[in-house]
Amino acid sequence: MLRKEQNDYLTQTDPGTPMGDLFRCYWMPALLSEELPEADCPPVRLKLMGERLVAFRDSEGKLGLIDEFCAHRGVSLWFGRNEECGLRCPYHGWKFDVNGQCMDVPSEPAESGYAKKVKLKSYPLIEKGGVLWTYMGPPEKQPPEPEYEFCTVPLNQTFMSKRLQETNWLQAMEGGIDSSHVSFLHRGDLSTDPLFKGAAGNKYNMQDLSPVFEVIESEGGLLIGARRNAEDDQYYWRITPWVMPCYTGVPPRGDHPMHGHFWVPIDDHSCWAWSYDYHPTRALTDHEVDSMKAGKGIHVRYVPGTYRPLANKDNDYLMDREAQKAGRTFSGVEGIGMQDASLQESMGPICDRSKENLVSTDNGIIMARHRLMRSAKALVEKGVIPPGVDPEHHKVRQAALLLKRDVQYKDGAKEALKAKQGVRQTSV
Amino acid sequence: MQSESARVTTAQESRFRVQYPNSRQRAVKVIALDPPSAEMIDELAKKEWKGATFFRALSFASDAEPGKTDAGLSAWLNDLAGRALDLVSEVASSDFIVVVSAAGEDARSVSVIADACTAHHKTLLAIVVPGEGASDADVSASMGHLRPYARMLVIAHDADYITAMLTALRA
Ligand code: FES
Ligand SMILES: [Fe+2]
Repeated sequence: MLRKEQNDYLTQTDPGTPMGDLFRCYWMPALLSEELPEADCPPVRLKLMGERLVAFRDSEGKLGLIDEFCAHRGVSLWFGRNEECGLRCPYHGWKFDVNGQCMDVPSEPAESGYAKKVKLKSYPLIEKGGVLWTYMGPPEKQPPEPEYEFCTVPLNQTFMSKRLQETNWLQAMEGGIDSSHVSFLHRGDLSTDPLFKGAAGNKYNMQDLSPVFEVIESEGGLLIGARRNAEDDQYYWRITPWVMPCYTGVPPRGDHPMHGHFWVPIDDHSCWAWSYDYHPTRALTDHEVDSMKAGKGIHVRYVPGTYRPLANKDNDYLMDREAQKAGRTFSGVEGIGMQDASLQESMGPICDRSKENLVSTDNGIIMARHRLMRSAKALVEKGVIPPGVDPEHHKVRQAALLLKRDVQYKDGAKEALKAKQGVRQTSV
Repeated sequence: MQSESARVTTAQESRFRVQYPNSRQRAVKVIALDPPSAEMIDELAKKEWKGATFFRALSFASDAEPGKTDAGLSAWLNDLAGRALDLVSEVASSDFIVVVSAAGEDARSVSVIADACTAHHKTLLAIVVPGEGASDADVSASMGHLRPYARMLVIAHDADYITAMLTALRA
């Protein structure tokens, strides 16, 4: 349960809000590289944390992320002409470079220097691991580049997709922390999904529906261990890392690629669910990539030409009661990503947490909220840099492993939880 | 035509969620397993709670033997005023039990509490608070003691967390 003012505090990320300030301490995924595929390609408009922006790649391939609206009379620069190292507004021809600097005001003599006095707000945009990342905070506090393992392995070992989710970011992210829903909502997919099935560990999930949890604070966020009984005096552990503010990893299965998410606020009523899949030591196979593109695993199929899921609220998520009755899906919705999204959207755009009844197994969620609130407060009141900004905090891995019952996972899985170049994931 | 899901998931529709208390007050009993935790709990108890009550396990305060279940169960807890209370009936009248342990301290008394929880089908949630001087090995040792008995085990570096958690659980 959260009081209304606490819920508002955590869910609002517009400029000037405490959580908005917190998010603006980090590099955040803004676009897929494929959205700006080449120099002078069409610009893309986007909204992040309540700010409307336009992104483009100029004639030299430089990336820009600037205020969407022309400084002259407010036309959207999405209509702009991306040419000769700048984005030109089609209304009266004003032109802006990747830093938002006005380069040309055709109605004024160039010698007047008027253009120099006009500048649109801009944010840095960098490319890493097939993702274009932005940092929207104060320039003097810009942290080093992100070091999440999925964006540092060679490109043929990693795959990223994103989907629009029509809810606040927090209820989406809480789904990523809450691994106790997997044995219910996703149970049908463990044995059928090409990116999940066949792992030796899956049997423990199915045999033991009420795992026991251990929540540990890590430097960058949390580790949430779920343990189930296994043979020979061992436990089967699935360990989910959360890195502040909105990165979650899903514990791996067998030699399948490892996956997880970023939950990035668009505005208070919608967010981008970013979904990565990567393998630390080998290229993804064609079959894996084809499955990901086909919406398997944690990915989705799209409404053509968009990043909106094909199964969405407008078609009741293609609800299939037959499949639900027959147990092929638990909720009647197909695909792991949409199973989560459909339920989270049903909570309403901003979940009313004053009515929820949490139980002890929800401690991961309770702790994450607590750390977010505490960190935002320390940032706003004392300027304390929050956990997860330091790229060292990004070098954490999810893990699935068997440990002797008397071994602590924070000790027994210590190495397994570290991202290490050229070392295979720890997974059963 | 607009689908039903699209119509009912708007912000305006959230207004029509039926407003009423959808759960009754839960009784949460919070038990300190060692002297440093007891100090923390004394502080916590000063706040306003709806369904939380606070106790100390007697094992560290008296001659009761940790882990020994045959004797003294009828007086195995102290409330904060120092009155001896009967562990089994306190557990029986709870909805769930929270035990708090400071890392490195003796947490073995948890087994007696856990036996009572098992007998009455109550969930036991354990929190380890590492405290200033606690080493990694201390935390591991505490976790090792608590693990067999807890459905949920939390390491919380900041004592505020217990307040946050109890509030979140409507205690
Ligand atoms: S059972 Fe968890 S939301 Fe309904
Ligand atoms: Fe899920």
